Amino acid sequence: MEDLFNVSILCNGKMYERSIEPRLLLSDFLRHELDLTGTHVGCEHGVCGACTVLVDGLPVRSCLMFAVQASGHEVTTVEGLGEPDNLHPIQEAFWEAHGLQCGFCTPGFLMTLIPFLKENPKPTREDIRTAISGNICRCTGYQHIIDAVQLAAQKMSKP
Amino acid sequence: MTKKYLGKPITRNEDPQLLTGQALFVDDVDLPDMLHAAFLRSDYAHAHLKSIDISAALEKPGVVAVYTADSMGDDWAPGPPLVSPPPTVKDVVFNSRRQVPLVKDKIRHVGEAIAVVIAENRYIAEDAAEDILVDLEPLEAVVDLEAALKPDCILIHDDLESNLAAQLVQNKGDYQAAREKADLIIKKHFVIERGAAAAMENRGIVADWDVKSQHLTVWDTTQAPIPIRNGLAARYGLSERQVRVIAPFIGGAFGPKMMMFYPEELVIPWAAIKLGRPVKWIEDRRENFYATTQERIQIHEAEIALTSEGRVLGISDQFLHDTGAYDPYGLTIPLNTQSHLLGVYDIPNFTSEIKVVFTNKVISTPVRGAGRPQGVYAIERLLDMAAKELGMDKVEIRKLNFIPPDAFPYEQNYIDQAFAPLIFDSGNYLPAIEKAAELIGYEQFLKVDQPRYRSEGRHVGIGIVAFPETTGVGPYEGARITIEPSGKVSVATGVGTQGQGHFTTFAQIVADQVGVNPRDVNLVTGDTAEFHWGTGTFASRGAVVAANAIHASAKAVRKKILEHASKHLGAPEGELEIEDGQVRVADIPRMSISLGELAELANPLRGAVEPGTEPGLEATAYFGPQYGATAFGVHSMILEVDVETMTVDILRYVVVEDCGTVLNPLILEGQIHGGISMGIGNSYYEKLVYDDNGQLLNASLADYLIPMATEMPYIEIEHQETPSPLNPLGSKGVGEAGAIPVPALFAQALENALSDYDLEIRETPLSPNRLYELLTSKG
Amino acid sequence: MKLEGEYTFDGPREQVWELVRDPDVLVTALPGAKSLEQVGENEYEGEMNLRVGPVAGVFAGRLVVSNEQPPQSCTLTVEGKGKQGFVDGTGHVNLEELEDNKTLMKYEGDVQVGGKLASVGQRLVDTASKSIIRQGLDTMNKALVARVEARETGEKVDFTPPSESEFAVSVAKDMAGEALSSTTLKWVVGAAIVIILILVLVLINQNGL
Repeated sequence: MEDLFNVSILCNGKMYERSIEPRLLLSDFLRHELDLTGTHVGCEHGVCGACTVLVDGLPVRSCLMFAVQASGHEVTTVEGLGEPDNLHPIQEAFWEAHGLQCGFCTPGFLMTLIPFLKENPKPTREDIRTAISGNICRCTGYQHIIDAVQLAAQKMSKP
Repeated sequence: MTKKYLGKPITRNEDPQLLTGQALFVDDVDLPDMLHAAFLRSDYAHAHLKSIDISAALEKPGVVAVYTADSMGDDWAPGPPLVSPPPTVKDVVFNSRRQVPLVKDKIRHVGEAIAVVIAENRYIAEDAAEDILVDLEPLEAVVDLEAALKPDCILIHDDLESNLAAQLVQNKGDYQAAREKADLIIKKHFVIERGAAAAMENRGIVADWDVKSQHLTVWDTTQAPIPIRNGLAARYGLSERQVRVIAPFIGGAFGPKMMMFYPEELVIPWAAIKLGRPVKWIEDRRENFYATTQERIQIHEAEIALTSEGRVLGISDQFLHDTGAYDPYGLTIPLNTQSHLLGVYDIPNFTSEIKVVFTNKVISTPVRGAGRPQGVYAIERLLDMAAKELGMDKVEIRKLNFIPPDAFPYEQNYIDQAFAPLIFDSGNYLPAIEKAAELIGYEQFLKVDQPRYRSEGRHVGIGIVAFPETTGVGPYEGARITIEPSGKVSVATGVGTQGQGHFTTFAQIVADQVGVNPRDVNLVTGDTAEFHWGTGTFASRGAVVAANAIHASAKAVRKKILEHASKHLGAPEGELEIEDGQVRVADIPRMSISLGELAELANPLRGAVEPGTEPGLEATAYFGPQYGATAFGVHSMILEVDVETMTVDILRYVVVEDCGTVLNPLILEGQIHGGISMGIGNSYYEKLVYDDNGQLLNASLADYLIPMATEMPYIEIEHQETPSPLNPLGSKGVGEAGAIPVPALFAQALENALSDYDLEIRETPLSPNRLYELLTSKG
Repeated sequence: MKLEGEYTFDGPREQVWELVRDPDVLVTALPGAKSLEQVGENEYEGEMNLRVGPVAGVFAGRLVVSNEQPPQSCTLTVEGKGKQGFVDGTGHVNLEELEDNKTLMKYEGDVQVGGKLASVGQRLVDTASKSIIRQGLDTMNKALVARVEARETGEKVDFTPPSESEFAVSVAKDMAGEALSSTTLKWVVGAAIVIILILVLVLINQNGL
């Protein structure tokens, strides 16, 4: 049994202190230690993007990061975006544009897009395609996702 | 009764949960005292298993148990057959060999499960699995289909005489006679390679045996919870009541999650019963490439016989189908291929022989398209080649051969995958191809745009193909609808949902009949405790079979509502209308009662329920179609090839689809987009590569290339509605339609773009490498 | 996967033969090697302990020498098994005396790879093995030179094998695209194939698998 490390992680605005094995992946930590199961694991080798979360505001593959590396940092997951009765504009946009089907890859897309839309408030469809080219969706063919992002940009630009 | 909701692009009921990460997928299930499983899988494709030493694994702290085939004792048995051989065709060869829970004596594909470790967490379980020592004697692996059938080839199933799993010949008319009358005969060899479904969610199972209540609950990423429940109950000597199988939200399926009684589905519940603690197994991505089923290869020797005017007299196709190490799905995929070998065309003569071959590869079971793309590939390619020989336009040759609209129902006179005579129920192909050609600017492209591109040195080409899709097969589905005292409506049906939007389309059907808002319809799918009669979600049948069961049940509830309301309001049923949850007398709005109140009244605390009636406002109904409805479509694309990098850019993509009555256009388009992305994958990017030793060489998403947003075109869809006469809603399935024509379309467009190279494409998928090889071998 | 090439050793054929037939030499030359024991007349078994970051594993290999025609040629058969998969290979080796006290080794072999190595490492295995062979033989050549000098001067052999990380680094550099010189190799193909086993694992592990 390996030695346990103490970590302090601020996640979705709440501070979590835990003792964990150093080899525990951040994705497993979020899903099983913190019971935040919105972040999904699709491949564990950094290709599909389903596990994307924000660490200090930047998108990161949580399957390629150890939880101990996040200690002292701020993590945002999809649970930090909104609630079913109080959706974030990007979540509303995905709903209205039918930007999801099975929903498994969706949290990863949303977290990738939050920093993207911050930097690119008026993206073209090509800009969006490139921004999401690191996230795999097997259900939608991406078209409604791109529609959703354009709609989200509109919603988020309103004062 | 007006269609207020059906056919409208209503946003989905299930999205808020999914968007906020609050939807339950199997890996989200967390039970107290839960254990975790990891499987030890074979590194060899073909080997005798001599002994297994689990002692080192057992000693690892945190390991609770290690099981092998021997541990299972009498509970060890191969999975049950999922389909039987076709009874109505004579001279069928059918050797049914199914997958086993854990290898007993022979390993037949890389990744086959040899042992399972149950531990306190997955990390420990995987570590311990590596400590298991396996002694085996490697054998030569059988990989090539043609070599597998040679008499001196090593046998994969030693009790058989050869590696032939099944053989079947089907005939229509007299192909030999037709051939003799033909002016032109073209014979070609086509190869369609292996591909995976690669859903974003890998498979998983959580099994919980409650000793005190003697009840087994299983969460499973399956498309078929009801057959799984029935099978597990039978296998472990339980009553069906003692087993509950739940398919919660599922992260995509596309076919392989319909495969039933995977080794893990046999082992994990067994382990949970044995240990008396819940056990969870979640597949990782690499495992998915070995442990979840895939589809194909098929090798076709196809021939077309035509008149000099381009009229097709007959089609002949002898093909080999690779089933992998076992064949639980029998002839399903190749029968689907046969059903589509004549395309949407009126071809009077046909002969086709299927040979299903065992190989030392992962089991092949239906993946989106399920054999249909292969049939369409053959016929559309042959037509293209015939058109070229005869100097005919590709659209013209198709139009000339279409089944005319007055010929329906069109009997094909051979059988389909449901073992019933293949009949196309309805269709109207001519307007579809004309519309597609118009939308993409077919004439304009060939006459004006393409010559201009050529003069600029650009290789841009156009393709257009037509295809049928058999959908909506039985046997049946059912649904139960209940009006609750709150006025909300609760619905239960047996099919599962893996992203198709059932929670919404089905709600729309109910809402129209019962007079509520779809948002007030709460649906449960895929939970055997809620509804336990049905088969599953597969073969593009949800929108046909389940939807019509829901429709029938909703109509029955509506009838009860009107009966009760009529009594209560003292008005004849004919004068009543239901809207926004209220039943009222038309023209006298103050004479009304809410559905909720009516539901309470229908469930009396005093008094009696009259004989021949039932309490409450609830109805259960079933629907089983006579045979499957045939949808169809036309796809067209313009693509550009860079002859230096061999990369392909799709400039335009047009679809005209006809799936009968449209239930929800938003969801429909999503299905088509998704299907096309898999079709594009199967055309240029996705190929599972096995080496001569049966080793899968690209078992990761880094090497198995799934189309990303940058590979996808903007898809323009036009709808046509030729309702099906086979069901009250007039609907047909569409789940696989997007994927079916794409490889054939891609080949045609590429050849057109590279016409200065005189290229003939007879395989799929291609790739930049492969295209380069084909072009340079031309010199 | 086919492997073939040549390597020129800076020493006479007999000494090369001797050096390489000595398991103690091979063990020190191969980083991570726990043991390489002669278990039969022409059979060796070895164990490599591989540690890259937090990942560690043991890889067991068996080497059989056959068709021996000393000091000219032989056939080597290698079987290696580990948690990352397995490697089975056969190689034929030929030694030729050259002028000025050098020896030319020609080798050709066929290696089958399975398990994780094949499915995830497949793209790396080809380049990695060529590089590993070259690096391994360079190391052996240095050991040979030291021995030859020691014999001449009567002093102790002055040879420090490269450390595990140095070895891995130089292979990684090769992988990154340095031109692979198909320098002639000597008789250490047997050891080289065992090196393949180790170093492919090193590279696989380094690539985060």
